[in-house]
Amino acid sequence: MIFHPAIIALYVSSVLISFMVLYGASFGIQILRKWDIKSGNELQLILERKTYLISTLLAYLFGFQLLSLFLYIFTVDQLSTFFVGAMCAAGSLYVNDFGYPALVLKMINFLLAGLWLILNYADNQAYDYPLIKKKYLFLVILTPLIFAEMVLQANYFLRLKPDIITSCCGTLFSAEGSSLSSVITVLPSIPMKIVFYLSMILTIALGVYYYLKGKGGYLFSSLSVITFLASILSIFSFVSVYYYELPTHHCPFCILQGEYGYIGYPLYLTLLGGTISGMGVGVLMPFKNIKSLSEIVPSLQRKLAILTLILFTLFTAMITSRMVFSGLILEGY
Amino acid sequence: MIELQNIRKVFNQNKPNEFVAIHGISLSIDSDRVTVFKGPSGSGKTTVLSLIGCMSRPTSGRIRLSEREITSLPERFLTEIRRQTFGFIFQQFNLVKGITALENAMLPAYPLGEAHTSFRKRAMGLFDLFGISQKAESKVEWLSGGEAQRVTIARALINNPSIIIADEPTAHLDTKLSKEFMEIVGRFKDDGKTVLIASHDPIVYECGVVDRVIHIRDGKVEGGT
Repeated sequence: MIFHPAIIALYVSSVLISFMVLYGASFGIQILRKWDIKSGNELQLILERKTYLISTLLAYLFGFQLLSLFLYIFTVDQLSTFFVGAMCAAGSLYVNDFGYPALVLKMINFLLAGLWLILNYADNQAYDYPLIKKKYLFLVILTPLIFAEMVLQANYFLRLKPDIITSCCGTLFSAEGSSLSSVITVLPSIPMKIVFYLSMILTIALGVYYYLKGKGGYLFSSLSVITFLASILSIFSFVSVYYYELPTHHCPFCILQGEYGYIGYPLYLTLLGGTISGMGVGVLMPFKNIKSLSEIVPSLQRKLAILTLILFTLFTAMITSRMVFSGLILEGY
Repeated sequence: MIELQNIRKVFNQNKPNEFVAIHGISLSIDSDRVTVFKGPSGSGKTTVLSLIGCMSRPTSGRIRLSEREITSLPERFLTEIRRQTFGFIFQQFNLVKGITALENAMLPAYPLGEAHTSFRKRAMGLFDLFGISQKAESKVEWLSGGEAQRVTIARALINNPSIIIADEPTAHLDTKLSKEFMEIVGRFKDDGKTVLIASHDPIVYECGVVDRVIHIRDGKVEGGT
């Protein structure tokens, strides 16, 4: 293991988050089994008092869970100087078998934690705990994933050895390889541009329609997910090469470095943030007719929709401006 | 209508100094009436009032206020109910020293976000009603017991609550002032307010304006509900 302040922070925080989530989940099981709002028995009143405290603590923990994805990427990027061959986070993650799985799981947990926060926020706005069983069931499902992330991340950090020779991003994300990353990398740029802009325009248009009319929530939410996937593939396929001004360099991590103005952080932040809020619209759809949420949920959904529109528009604007002003002229392939 | 269903309140539960203040009380209290909780010190009168007034939560049982169940509400909803539904008159007055009588009376109105001029005018109206308008700008530590009592009443009424809760309101008043207080209670009743008083003062529970006296002893209601 390499002793680095950020590694220790990530390691300790993931242990704390995991065990607090485990405690929250055990409380959640009690809620799922014993909760009865009509009853005035002692246990019910204890559960009502405790859920307020536990959901507040979990909200802060999941807030840190969101931040930890970016801290992980930043740390891994910083570590690249320790390994022979590594030029950015791509190489650092490749030094053992746990780096990339931990990153993927962190991204999944990022999205799920964001959705839990939205569900929790909606539940806390109502006076009669309308989503309490749903949010704790979600927490129970989320707990193994949080634990798996802790285990993968710990294994990754504990197995870091500075004498390892790793591969650089030029090798990992080259068109010559046969790995999944190579397959994604060679996705043709013109069709990918069409897919990206089409999905983005459709999502934004449907978001505006949803904001104005309050209809098409599920479709808007589904399109947000499709746009997220299309955007990730686009970063590999053509966005990265405009930033590097090098048609053969498709690394999604080098854009996180100071050399490129740390542009990767706002790019990924707007993309992931927009996806969470877009998915949140769909997650809340089944609950808009619950009496105590009938005014709260539609208003919250409209706020989430507008947030998605803002973040996705910013993401597209950053990419498009780079494509326009980049020194690289990509004719397409 | 205020309904208490099998209310229990235990302090320091599961500790050596555990104390059961209320033993499964069930009650229905009519709106627009004056109800007095009578009983010796330590009988649980104040605890019952604090539970109804959303100042504390029961250990078990439910309380319904105008068909709305309030014991399960999260704290911020209770705060709203406390501010808008209840006016409290405390035994010790609980006025804030160092500020004027008028400022004290206006304090509960500040969190509601109403225009200052509007609730200041209302506070002055209450001071006029209780004959203490000349004391509005006096510091509370300069007031007599009767004047301080009237300031607390004005403070309880500043948000125009539908329910007034008074805990031993005459404990520090002489007979004349106690009778004057009960006259004011009669005005609350005429205005359609529900008044709940905890007291073991005969001037209070024998007063003609009182509609119902509930006897509490050892945390239980004596003589049914």
